[in-house]
Amino acid sequence: MRSPVALAPVVLAVIAIAIVALPAVAPAYYVTLMLPFMAYGVVLLGLNLLFGYTGLVSFGHALFIGIGAYTGAVLTTHAGVRHMELILPAAALTAAVVAAPVGALCARYVKIYFGMLTLAFGMVFYTFLLKFYRLTGGDEGMRMLRPYLFGSEWAGFSKTAYLIGPYYYFSLAVLALATLLMWRIVRSPFGLCLKTIRDNPLKAESLGVSVPRYRWYAFMISAVYAAVGGALLAPPTGNVDPTLAYWTHSGNIVFMVLLGGFSSFFGPLLGAFVFIFLQDTVMSVFPYWRLIFGAVLAFIVLFAPGGLMGLFARFRPAEVGRP
Amino acid sequence: MTANLVNVLLGGVFHAAILFLVAAGLQVVFGVQRIFNLACGSFYALGAYTGVSAVGFFTSHGGPPALFIVPLVLGGLAVGLVGIVVERGLLRFVYDRDETFQLLLTFALVLMLEDLIRMTWGTAPVSTGGLYLSYGQARILGATVPVYNLIVIAASLAIALGIGWLLTRTAFGRIIRASADNRDMAEALGVDMRRVYVRVFTLGTMLGTLGGALVIPATAAMSEMGIELIVEAFAVVVIGGLGSMRGAFVGALVVGVLRSVAISVYPELEMLLIYLIVIAVLLWRPRGLFGAAAA
Amino acid sequence: MATTRREFLKVAGGAAVGIAAGPAVARAQAPKGVPADPVKIGILAIRAGIAAPVGAAGLRGTEWWADRVNRAGGILGRKVELVVEEESTPKDTVERYRKLILQDKVEAVIGGISTGVTLALGPVAEEMDTPWLSWDGTTQKGVEETMPKPKWAFKSVDNEVEAIVAGLLTPKYFKGIKTVAGIGNDYSYGHDCWETYQAVLKRYIPDVKFVLELFPKLGVTDFTSHIAAIQQSKADLLMCSFWSGDATIIMKQAAAVGLFKTMKGVFTTAGGVHDSLKKEFTPEGLLLGYNTMYFDDPRGSALLKQFVREYKAKYNEYPPYECDHAYFCAESYKAALEKAYAAGGKWPSKAEVVKALEGIEVDSLSGRRSWREDHIQMCNFYQGLTTHKNSYDFVTINPIEVVSTKTAMKPAGSKLLEWINGWKI
Repeated sequence: MRSPVALAPVVLAVIAIAIVALPAVAPAYYVTLMLPFMAYGVVLLGLNLLFGYTGLVSFGHALFIGIGAYTGAVLTTHAGVRHMELILPAAALTAAVVAAPVGALCARYVKIYFGMLTLAFGMVFYTFLLKFYRLTGGDEGMRMLRPYLFGSEWAGFSKTAYLIGPYYYFSLAVLALATLLMWRIVRSPFGLCLKTIRDNPLKAESLGVSVPRYRWYAFMISAVYAAVGGALLAPPTGNVDPTLAYWTHSGNIVFMVLLGGFSSFFGPLLGAFVFIFLQDTVMSVFPYWRLIFGAVLAFIVLFAPGGLMGLFARFRPAEVGRP
Repeated sequence: MTANLVNVLLGGVFHAAILFLVAAGLQVVFGVQRIFNLACGSFYALGAYTGVSAVGFFTSHGGPPALFIVPLVLGGLAVGLVGIVVERGLLRFVYDRDETFQLLLTFALVLMLEDLIRMTWGTAPVSTGGLYLSYGQARILGATVPVYNLIVIAASLAIALGIGWLLTRTAFGRIIRASADNRDMAEALGVDMRRVYVRVFTLGTMLGTLGGALVIPATAAMSEMGIELIVEAFAVVVIGGLGSMRGAFVGALVVGVLRSVAISVYPELEMLLIYLIVIAVLLWRPRGLFGAAAA
Repeated sequence: MATTRREFLKVAGGAAVGIAAGPAVARAQAPKGVPADPVKIGILAIRAGIAAPVGAAGLRGTEWWADRVNRAGGILGRKVELVVEEESTPKDTVERYRKLILQDKVEAVIGGISTGVTLALGPVAEEMDTPWLSWDGTTQKGVEETMPKPKWAFKSVDNEVEAIVAGLLTPKYFKGIKTVAGIGNDYSYGHDCWETYQAVLKRYIPDVKFVLELFPKLGVTDFTSHIAAIQQSKADLLMCSFWSGDATIIMKQAAAVGLFKTMKGVFTTAGGVHDSLKKEFTPEGLLLGYNTMYFDDPRGSALLKQFVREYKAKYNEYPPYECDHAYFCAESYKAALEKAYAAGGKWPSKAEVVKALEGIEVDSLSGRRSWREDHIQMCNFYQGLTTHKNSYDFVTINPIEVVSTKTAMKPAGSKLLEWINGWKI
C-alpha cells in the first residue's frame, strides 16, 4: 500500500471543504447524487479491507448491503424505530450476526473458492428476499420511512430539502467517522497482520497468526461496513428491494474498488465517486452504457490495475512502494 | 404413473443437457487456464441469437424447414470463433495476473456482450417459431416426448463423449490435460501454451455457443438470458467440481433432475434447493464430486 | 430503437422543418400566456432485461404520439420534447426520476412498468410535486398501502384486472371445469393474478379445486419440468399469467407434448407477445388476453388502424398493449394541459394540471380511456378465444370480449378480495 503521504493534507483539506460546501453551490440533483456516493464509500472502505488489505475478493457483498437496507426498512416500517442513530448500529449488529457464521465458513478458502462461496451466499439471500414475499415484500420490497436525524424529524422539510440538507450532512458525518475508524484499523497491528496474511500466509502462520481467524475478523468488519452503507443507501429511494442483493450489484462494487485503486486507502472512495458520476452522465446520453462500462472495466484490468490512484502514483514515483 | 415419472425424468435430463453445454465450456477453460469465465452465459446467449438468425436466413432463402438443424448448428459453431478474438484480444493479457483480475475481466465481458447482443438483435424475444415441432413426438412408456428434446439430449451426450474422446485419445487432449495438471512442466516439455490457450478458449466458447444454438428452437432468446444462466451453470460446476468434464456432466444431471423433481413434488423449493446444495458442497467437499484439489 | 434526447431532437427538428408552413403558422397563432420554449416531458422506459420489449413498446407509442402532436403544432403551440431515461432497478430509477425533475426540469414524468419500481416511485412522486403518469405496474400494495390519496401520482389499471376478466369469462366459455392448475411468474404480479383468478372462479364454480400452483422465476427459459408437473396434476384447465417471451416458450413446449389437446388454457396476459404466438404451436380455443389494446379490433378506430399500420411498417411487428398505456398517458396529459389552460388563460401550473387530469377522458388508441377521481385509469380489456382464421401467421381472437373496468376493476376505496366476495352472482 502506498504511504498516505501521496494524498497530501492540502488535497484532503480542499476536498473536505468542497464536500461540506457543496449543497450550497451545486445543483440539487448533483447534491442528491453525492448520497449514494457516500453510502457506497462506506461500503467500499469495508470491502477494500477484504480486497486490498487481506487479498480476498467477495462476489457476494451485496448480501450485506441488502441486510443493512432491509434492517432500516423493517425498523422504520414495522418496529416504529425512526432514529437513524439507532438504525445504523442495528444494521451493523445484524450484519455481524450473519457475517460470523458465513465468514467463518468462507474464511477457510481463498481466491476463486472464496469468490464462489460468497456469490452463492449472496444469491441465497437474494432468493430468500424474493421468495418469502409475505415476510419481505418480495419483488415489491419494503418501504423505508424517512428516518429522524440528529434527534429531529425535520418535518417541515420537503424530501428534497431533507436530502440535500440534514441527510447529506448526516451521511457525511457517518462517512467521515467510518473513514477515520478504518484508517485506525489498517494502521493498527491488526491491519499489519492482514497485510502479512495477504502477502505470505505461510509466514503469517509461522509467526503465530491464525490466518483463518484474521480473515474472519476482516470479513466481519467489511460486512458491518457494507450494512451501514446499505442502511444509508435506502432512505433516498424510500424503498428497499431484492435487486440490492443481486450478484451483479456485488460485481459493481468490486468494479468501483478496482476503478479507484485497491492498493490505496482512498482509492475506493475515488472509485465510488467516479463510478457514480460517470454512470449518471453516460446513462442519460447513451442507451448502451453497459458496453461503455464493460470497456472501462476491461481497460482498467488490462492497463491500469492500480486504478485511478495507481495512475496518479505514476506521476509521483517517490511515493510508490509497499507500506 | 410411469408416464409421469418419465416426464419428470426426461424434463430433468433435458434441462441437464442445456446446463451441461453451458458448463462444459466453463470447465474446459477453467481446467486449463484456471479462469472462471463469467461470460459463459453470454456466449450461450450469443449462440442462441445467432442460431435464430441463421435459421431465419436459411428458411427465408428457400431452405427446407426440416433441415433447419443444419444452419442452426453451423451458426452456433461459427459464432463460437469469436472466442479467438476474445482470447487474443483480451484474455491473454491477464494470464499472469491474479485470478481476481481474470474474473473481473470476464465480468467486463458480460457487460459488453449484453449490450452488443442488444444492439444487434434488439430486446424483443426471438425464436425459431414452430420449427421445434418439426420432428414430431415420440411415445415413451406412455409419455409424450418431443423428438427435438431427444435430439438435444443425444447431442449433449454426443458432445460429452466427444470431449471425453478428445481429452483421452488425441494429442491435443493430452496436451490439455498435461497443461491443466502442470502448466510449467508442459511448457518445459515444449508445448506452445499460446496456441493451446487460444484453442482451449475457443473450444470453450464454441461449446457455449453451440449449446445456445441447439436449445433455442425449444425456447426463445431473451434479453439478459446470459446473466440468469451463469448462476445455474455456476451451481453445476461447483457440485461437479471445477475443471472436471465428468463433473459438469454429473453436476448438470444432479441440478437438472433435482430441480425437476422439486417442481413436481415441492415447487417452492426449486432454486433455493440448488443453492443450498451448492453451499453444502462448497463447505464439505469444496472440490466437488470430481474436481481437483481444493484451494 | 431507443431514443436519446439528442436523437429525438434531431428527429423532431427534421420533422418540423420538413413540413412546409406547419410550425411557422402554428407559432404565429400561438395562444397568449404560453411560453415559447418546448414543453419537456420526462419518459422512463425499461431498456434491458425481460421487460425490455414492454418498455420499447411504451416508448414507441409515446414517440408516435409526440410526432403526431408536433406535426399538428404541438401542445398549445409548444413543441413536445421527450427526455428519456432508463427504468432499471428501483434505486437507480428513483435517481433518474429525480434527475428528470431537478436537473432536466421536466414538467411531468410519464412511464414506469415494473411493480417494484412503480411502488418506489409513488411516494417519491408525491414528494417532488410533479405529475407522474404511470404506464403499468399497479399492485394492491401500491394503491392501498403506500398511496391511498395521491395528489401527483396517476396509476395504471390494477394489475389484477385481466385475471378478473379471465375469471369471469372462464365459466362462460369452458363448461365442466372442476380442477384448475395455475402457473405464473414468481413475483407480485404472478401471485396476485393467481389469487384473484381463484377468488373470482370460486364465486362461479364454488366447488372448483385448485390442484397445482407453480411460480417459476421471471427469466426461466425452460418449462419442460413444469409442464410435466401440470400434466401430472390432470387439471381440467391451466391458467397462465405470463406476459413476455416465456408465454411463447411455454406455449411452444406445451404444444410439443400436446398439453392443450386434453386441457383447457387461459392465458390472461400473453397478448403482450401476441405476434410470437404462431399458429403452428398455438391451438385454437384458448382464452387469450390482450390487456387494454387489441391491435386487430374490427371495431377499432381510424386512429388505431393508422397506428397499427405505421407501427408495423416501421418496426415489422404488431403493437402490443403497452403502446396504448403510453399513448393514453401522454394524450391525457395534453388534454389536461389544454383544459387547464382554457380555464386559466395561461400555461397551467403543475397543480392545475393534476386537478384537470382527474376525471378527464380522451380518445386513446383502443377507444375512450379516462382517469378516475382516485387517479386510476379506466378503460376496456380485450380477451377472447384464439382462432387461426386470419391472414397472419399467428393467432388472433374471435369472439372478442370487451370488458370495461367499470365491471372488472374494484371501485375506488374498496378492497379487492372483499369486493369480489361481495358480488351478487
